[in-house]
Amino acid sequence: MTISSVKERLVLLLILCSSLWGSAALANGQTSPATSTNTAVTAPPSLASPLNVKDANPPAPADLAKGDPGGALTGTVNDVPVSDAKKGLTLGDTVNQVGQNKVAINFVWTLVTGFLVMFMQAGFALVETGLCRAKNANHTMMMNFMVYGFGLFAYWVCGFAFQMGGVGATTNLGGTAPLSGELVRHWFGKDWGLIGTHGFFLTQGGTYDVGVMVLFLFQMVFMDTAATIVTGAAAERWKFAAFAMSSFFLAAFTYPLYANWAWGGGWLSQLGANFGLGHGYCDFAGSGVVHAVGGITALAVSMIIGPRIGKYNRNGSSNAMPGHDIVIVLTGCFILAFGWFGFNPGSTLGASGNGALRIGSIAVNTMLAGCTGSFGALFYMWIRYGKPDASMAGNGLLAGLVAITAPSGFVNSVGAAIIGLVAGVLVCLSVEYFDRVARVDDPVGAISVHGTNGLWGVISVGLFADGKSNYGGSWNGVNGSVTGLFYGDPSQLVAQLIGVATLVGFVFSLAYVLNIFVDYFVGQRVAAESELEGLDVPELGALGYPEFVLKTYRQEAVAHG
Amino acid sequence: MKLLGLLVVVVGWLIAVSSVLLTSSTTTRFIICLIGIACCLVGILKVLNGAYLKHAIWKQ
Repeated sequence: MTISSVKERLVLLLILCSSLWGSAALANGQTSPATSTNTAVTAPPSLASPLNVKDANPPAPADLAKGDPGGALTGTVNDVPVSDAKKGLTLGDTVNQVGQNKVAINFVWTLVTGFLVMFMQAGFALVETGLCRAKNANHTMMMNFMVYGFGLFAYWVCGFAFQMGGVGATTNLGGTAPLSGELVRHWFGKDWGLIGTHGFFLTQGGTYDVGVMVLFLFQMVFMDTAATIVTGAAAERWKFAAFAMSSFFLAAFTYPLYANWAWGGGWLSQLGANFGLGHGYCDFAGSGVVHAVGGITALAVSMIIGPRIGKYNRNGSSNAMPGHDIVIVLTGCFILAFGWFGFNPGSTLGASGNGALRIGSIAVNTMLAGCTGSFGALFYMWIRYGKPDASMAGNGLLAGLVAITAPSGFVNSVGAAIIGLVAGVLVCLSVEYFDRVARVDDPVGAISVHGTNGLWGVISVGLFADGKSNYGGSWNGVNGSVTGLFYGDPSQLVAQLIGVATLVGFVFSLAYVLNIFVDYFVGQRVAAESELEGLDVPELGALGYPEFVLKTYRQEAVAHG
Repeated sequence: MKLLGLLVVVVGWLIAVSSVLLTSSTTTRFIICLIGIACCLVGILKVLNGAYLKHAIWKQ
């Protein structure tokens, strides 16, 4: 290294340092260095000042022409776009590239995690189909398949606008400035955000925007997770047309409304700023917004439809109706656990800036809670019934994952393990309650896994949030970190309880009314003959396992001569 | 009965939300919220579900 190149490096360093010092001082409201009485400090260069980057030593074209097997020559100063070729590379060009790199990292992170969440649909399809009887395999699979399309369409038309139309700037994604329309009412001296108004068809309100598109994709797959939960609870007796309408309503109204209140800048998220309740309702990745909304809607639909024929005896005792394929159930659970790494860590909406490096902690919390959830269910069933139950172990895993979804960004690993363990036991108790006491038939345990444990996840934020997370210095407009009861802030628990009350009170009522409407116009339940035969042929015209059935018929024919 | 159940559920929700308007004490808000949630659960699981169980398919 020559003396001149060392000098150039020092000058460049000095320019960058003075520039950073100047912007930091301005941010703190101090006097600009240029007008300061301390004339010893050199004024920072303007962003248009050319940078002397000769010492960056970009590779010669001849070297590049030979290829770069080691990767040392690719990605240099030559790859930074220059706005004015005459000036060459300026400080402004460099800083703009840094900003674009940050947003690009966050775009890629959010999109890839969104793709993982989309793949969870396959997991749900396998779990639900495996837990149903073979005669309903095609019908159950088709509901899980088509809920993606029905949900996506409704969410594109209006759901996204209702949910995120007024969320404002999402700095990790470069602004999303067009999402600035929230219907706000001034009641009791406070502003109550009620519903978003920008983004219908992803064009209205100037929402044809790259950042908005990324946000839409990520939020859409979350909504679809909520929609697919209902298909499990209502399986084996739900009319396909009713399922289509019900899914449309969930994607267009029920889910977006609650999600707006929690994530879109609505009144639940402002409980902290308006009423001093911690940081307002906090639901990091959606135990409440996604899973409890899905689980509670599933409860409403299951109550309206009623139990399957043969599920209960005349004295009210219940009969077990085992699923037809435990192999695909557990495979589906694994796929869901994999997809959850998109669900929770992806909810930072970025991997760069605003505390997004916490994604490592969030991913570990997710793993741990799923693990302890399966432990909780496994040991509960083992102790209570003498043998470990495979399907309940799978449900325990899912229950732990559901429960950690809301607190995953706010708790430490010990908290995550406890939350998961409680969820694993809770799902067993809840399944027993709905099966034997409430007598609400739920073939796959969706109400317990997603509803009960979604609510537990929401409450657990108010208990276990450790006050160590820091996503850009504030959450929901309240400075500092989210802190739960066990770490000194009881008011956060109250905010979470208001969220729980809104789920079991408002969301249930809305879902119930919408599905009563569907029942009135379409009819929710299939005919008894169809149910006894299996829904594959009466509803869809094709069996899920035609050879399997043909073989059985042939065997019966042979057996009967 | 179904309508009554739905009414109890909605009232429970309003009770819980009203906690932020009625008092600034965290403990009192906590208690009011629990009352509201309990009201919602009774409305769903006892009143509304009870109405459906009265005419359940397995009783016919």
